[in-house]
Amino acid sequence: MPFVKLVKNKAYFKRYQTKFRRRREGKTDYYARKRLIVQAKNKYNSPKYRLVVRFTNTDVVCQIVYAKIQGDFVLASAYSHELPKYGVKAGLTNWSAAYCTGLLLARRVLTKLGLADKYEGVVEADGTFSITESVDESSRPFKAFLDVGLKRTTTGAKVFAAMKGASDGGIYVPHSDSRFPGFDVESKQLDAEVLRKYIYGGHVAEYMSQLEEEDEDKYKSHFSRFIAAGIDSENMEEMYKNAHAAIRANPVVTPKEKVTPKTRHYRKQRLNAKQRKDKVRQRIAAARRLAEIDN
Amino acid sequence: MLPTIKPKNARSKRALVKRSSKVIENPKNTIFIRGSQTSQVIQNVLKDLYSLKKPLALNFSKKNEIHPFDDETKLEFLCNKNDTSLFTIGSHSKKRPHNLIMGRMFDFKLFEMFEFEVKDYKSIEEIKGKTCASGIKPLLVFSGEPFNQDDTLMKLQNFFVDFFQSEKTDSICLTGLEHVISITVDPSASTPPPTSTVDQQQNYKLYIRSYYVNFLNSGQKLPRVELEEMGPSIDLVTRRHVFPTEETWKKATRVPKELFVKKTKNITHDNLGNKLGRIHVGQQDISKIQTRKVRALKAPKVNEF
Repeated sequence: MPFVKLVKNKAYFKRYQTKFRRRREGKTDYYARKRLIVQAKNKYNSPKYRLVVRFTNTDVVCQIVYAKIQGDFVLASAYSHELPKYGVKAGLTNWSAAYCTGLLLARRVLTKLGLADKYEGVVEADGTFSITESVDESSRPFKAFLDVGLKRTTTGAKVFAAMKGASDGGIYVPHSDSRFPGFDVESKQLDAEVLRKYIYGGHVAEYMSQLEEEDEDKYKSHFSRFIAAGIDSENMEEMYKNAHAAIRANPVVTPKEKVTPKTRHYRKQRLNAKQRKDKVRQRIAAARRLAEIDN
Repeated sequence: MLPTIKPKNARSKRALVKRSSKVIENPKNTIFIRGSQTSQVIQNVLKDLYSLKKPLALNFSKKNEIHPFDDETKLEFLCNKNDTSLFTIGSHSKKRPHNLIMGRMFDFKLFEMFEFEVKDYKSIEEIKGKTCASGIKPLLVFSGEPFNQDDTLMKLQNFFVDFFQSEKTDSICLTGLEHVISITVDPSASTPPPTSTVDQQQNYKLYIRSYYVNFLNSGQKLPRVELEEMGPSIDLVTRRHVFPTEETWKKATRVPKELFVKKTKNITHDNLGNKLGRIHVGQQDISKIQTRKVRALKAPKVNEF
């Protein structure tokens, strides 16, 4: 055997420290988390809220979270799977759905805090850049910082759709316009028309009509849920507009009715004493009857 | 002790400046050290205190052979290296079960320390209910007459204020007042033991309780406040202690000259940033003033006849 230099010697393993569990699992960016949680000392002790946006394959999750000593506490949450209730029947993970989810969360948390009437946000979204400002001295807007998790913060990313929705919903989320679709790197300017198109699902509608012309079969399979729900490229914008209005009308979460599952007994239920005795009596009677017939 | 380092490059120089003494000091960090042997109770106490002190805290999860009452150099070394001026050490032995040592440093030298026995303990986890946000300043309540009378307890109170205060702020947000720590001294246990043993030291029993503040609707502008036990709840009995000498105490509590603002009289600044001064002019002697001479005012010549 050739000579191998021992790199990981005893000293290495003695001094070795495992990373935090969530770091090992690759779920938390602790560098970002530390900065999002620690409140600046000139903020006089007020809790620091985060607008957490996460994506799964089928869902968009938006939450308002703040750190307590025994772990994070979720103040309010909204999911894109709630959107069918507000009229968005299909496409629950796209840019426009993320916007709706952010809007839903904002309206929900402001209703909970009793600020909903004071901070309406942008009622008719037109894609222009706006930041929620304080209405009067007595109550400042609810402030939350965007937590993107491990997502890449590219221009046009969906996390910023949820943020735009929350911001238009009346939460104060400090941000700039540089990551919205329609932002031009060269001129450093936001094209409000493009952003408006994304908010109302215009980019989906565009692809829909294009596919419908080019490849009918692919269109049918690709947009099967849209077709089943009766949504086409023409009424897409209308649907989102109605959904935004419906969210603003009633953002409150309806508690799900608890369904107690029917327990199925795979094993036979045990008989009680009375049943057992009765069973024996019946068997004796049956045996006697048999004996009489034999005789 | 670490030898005094001369910085070789700008980065290390910056790091040294960061931990050097300043006119307005940075908030104090706390180091939590596990002794060579610890009981589960002591480990939980350390864990809970660490979670209350986060993010201005450092936790040492490995064991350390450390006995500051016998030899403080090791502790001073660790505190110097990690730039922490508060420390908490937990240990457990037959002679001193459930032992907790808390103290502070001055100029990276041991300033004072207190040793406690943890008598009864309930962790944050054990007490179900709401918990406060992390990294906030608690309100401190000290109750019991001896806190104003006894020298040891006065010093202990001073220490606890320093330990729990974390960052200094000049004003506070009402929503951030979530946490109350109440420290009560048992009046019955504080009487000196009748049989004077070898060491004449008096042992006090302290009850540390921690509460979550509930702001409830009162119908008025001010909310109705209710306290809810949050944990940890610790019963402590004092053991040994080390106090600073009069000289070091004076040195440590000295307020730097720069902080005393000299009162400037008659100088104001307006909103535009202009400096306005008011000058006092002494009374003028009008009789000697040089004025325009007018013929009419001249004393008339007396005609000589």
